[in-house]
Formats: sequence, C-alpha cells, structure tokens
Amino acid sequence: MAPRQTLLERSDRVHGALGVVAPPPIHIETPTFQGSLATLFLFVKDHRVDLMDVPLTPVCEAYFTYLLANADANLDEAAAALAALAYLLERKAFMLLPVPEEDIELEEPFVLPDPSVQEFGLAMEVLRAWQEEREGIFFRSSEAGPNPYELPYRLKDVKASDLSLAFARLLHRAEDELDRPTGKARRSLTEMMKEVLIAVCHEWRTVEELVRERLTRTEAVYWFLALLELVRLGQVVVQLHQDEVRFARA
Amino acid sequence: MNTSADLVHALLFVADSPVPAENLARALSLTEGQVDQAIEILAERLEREGPIQLVRLAGGFQLSTKPAYAEVVASFLKPQRQRLSRSLMEVLAVVAYRQPITGAEIDEVRGVQSDHSVRALMERRLIREVGRRSTPGRPILYGTTEQFLHQFNMDRLEQLPEVVAALDSTDGERDNLAALVRQPDRSRVSPNP
Repeated sequence: MAPRQTLLERSDRVHGALGVVAPPPIHIETPTFQGSLATLFLFVKDHRVDLMDVPLTPVCEAYFTYLLANADANLDEAAAALAALAYLLERKAFMLLPVPEEDIELEEPFVLPDPSVQEFGLAMEVLRAWQEEREGIFFRSSEAGPNPYELPYRLKDVKASDLSLAFARLLHRAEDELDRPTGKARRSLTEMMKEVLIAVCHEWRTVEELVRERLTRTEAVYWFLALLELVRLGQVVVQLHQDEVRFARA
Repeated sequence: MNTSADLVHALLFVADSPVPAENLARALSLTEGQVDQAIEILAERLEREGPIQLVRLAGGFQLSTKPAYAEVVASFLKPQRQRLSRSLMEVLAVVAYRQPITGAEIDEVRGVQSDHSVRALMERRLIREVGRRSTPGRPILYGTTEQFLHQFNMDRLEQLPEVVAALDSTDGERDNLAALVRQPDRSRVSPNP
C-alpha cells in the first residue's frame, strides 16, 4: 500500500487538476487498469497510462453504478467525477480521430495560385523551415498532446484562484436548474461568447456587474467559460482590483 | 557561493515560458547589463556540455533540450505534429508581414475569403486582435502573438526575412534569403548576438 503521504499528495494533485473537489473513490475494473477513477485520470494526464489501451465502457458503467447507488451523493464530488470522466472521453475521442490529410500535403512544395501572394512564397518556406527547426527542441511542459507547447497566459497579477472566486460568486447567484427541460435549444459556446462580448465594455467591471440577468447554474458555467475563452483569445482583458477580478474589452 | 549565472539558471529552470531580461534583473536585483553577462556565461556553460541549451525566444530567455536530443525526447513525449495547412500558413504570413491588417485586406492580398483561416489562427493563438482601424465600420486589425514567435523559433518580428527583397531580388539576394532557411540555431544565445 502506498504511504499515507503519497496518497495525500496524489489527492491534492487530482483536487487541483479538477478544480474544486476531488472525485469520490469510484473503483474501476478493466483488463488493463484497476484502480480508482481519480488515479486513472491522474495517470492519463501524466502520460503514465496509454488511454488507447483502456476501454472506457467499464469506466462509464462504474460512474453510473456510483450515481445509482448514491442517490444522496455530494453534488460537487459527483461533478468532479463527471469532469474526470468527460476528460477521459474527450481525450480518447481526440486520439481516435484520423490525422487530417491536409498535413500530408504540406510536405509538397508550396504552389501559390494568386500572384499577389507570390511575394510571400519564400517567406512561407522560411517560416516552415523555422517551425521544423523549432520542433527539434523541447521545453518544460506538462502536456504532450496536439499542441505540445503553448505559452501560458499572461494575466499579470491575476491568479487562477482569483478567477475561481469570481466563478464561485457567479454560481452562488445562479438559480437551480428547472426540473424539466424547457425545450429551448441550448446556446453554443460561440453564441455565448458573442453575448458575453456585448456585455463586456471598455470600463472595468466585476462579474456581478456584467451579469445582470438571472442565470441557471448551467448557463452560469457556459457564461464563465465563454468569458475565459475570450480572455484566452485576447478579446477580453482581466485585472485585479482590491482582491476582485474585473474584466474589460481589450 | 552562487554566481549570477547560477541564479539565472535557477530561475530559467523553473520558468514555464520565456523570461525577458528585465524580469530576471528585477527578480535578482541586478542590472540588465549584469543579467546579459550572466546569460552569456550560462549559455557558454550549457553549450559546452549537457543536453540543455539556453535559447532566446519570443522576447525572452528559456531553457530547452538541444536539437541533438530531439529524437529521444520526441519518442518519450510522443508529440503529435500539428502543421499548419497551406491556407493557414498563407494567411499567417500575410498577417505577419502586413500587420496590423484588417480581414478585408487579407482577402484582398489572397484573392479569397480568409474568415475561416483567421478564426483558426486565432484559436491557435498565433494571431490576435490588436485594435481597430479608424475608418468607417472600425474594422478589426490583426497582428501576430508571442505564441507565433515561439512556435516559429523567433525572438522578435524583425527576424522575418525581407519579402520585398524576395520579390525583386537578384539570384544572389535570393540565395542569401534561402540561407536563412538553412541557418541553424539562429535563436540560440551566443556571446555576440
């Protein structure tokens, strides 16, 4: 059995990776992996288990069994388990995607159809060569996925915990979900991003000032995700003012 | 006793992105001149031995593995190569050279709609909105990002090869430009950059 300290450290890592709460101890039994959902999540994230070798049907079944057997389960813990499961499903789905053929075409020399672009032809060859050169060196990075190295976002003095607090306040204000679906189509993240971009103006505002209407918890999650994506794309900027994050148009 | 080069080494080891010289100077309470000197010493030391090198990328300094170790590191990390398609590379080159540039101007240069490519490049954080032009409609202006510099192994935009020279160049000038393609380790830190 692993020493207690090691288990605690693992718990902290899963806890940190999933956000707020560690998932409950859901046991998974597959031909290639035996252990908890949290351990599988952690091992996949650290590239210590090849997800292609792990069938996910038993993992989903274990999650549903847990849900059915624990009607009074802690909602946050269940959500953390769902987040871990969603991560595994998305990751495996991505790994199963075929490699686009377009990438193979790239080995061919560039043929530019338009004369006005012709002037960039040699520059594009240079860029392509530099990109290849760059792919020969590696940096400290926890991810080796499709984009093996992405610069971390520069948010100056704003930390993930500050954003997390703003998100928590938004969730606190949100209303419970309706018992029955309304039949209204759920807006995509792109649509939500357009809506959020309209709400964000050039003046610095807190999340509470930006969201005036009443949102359900799901809508609040979508709303905040859209806001974060806009920050990632550089269309919204964020600052810390008296321990409170504020947002504005870039 | 720790030298300045050791201190810079320690900071770069824990950094997860390029660190500008002024940030190193501020963190170590040194002048930028002292930091430059420390970087030179560290770069030479790393160059002499070991699998790590000091590179100058995207306006800062960062530690990376040496190209000689690319194969073994790649077999360990198994990164999925994600090359840009021809059209994305075309739009990226236009933005890189003509920035700040509007979407309509990109379309004009290419002769085709570029909306999808622009969105895809923004998704990859290679280009971003840098402002709006003060003309009717206030169109969005696009420019490249630090991620672009990092992904294409550049320290600053001035390192882009001269396109006008490519268009009107003599054979000799084209050879010089083509030499840029073959030139190894442009961004590695050298004592006389």
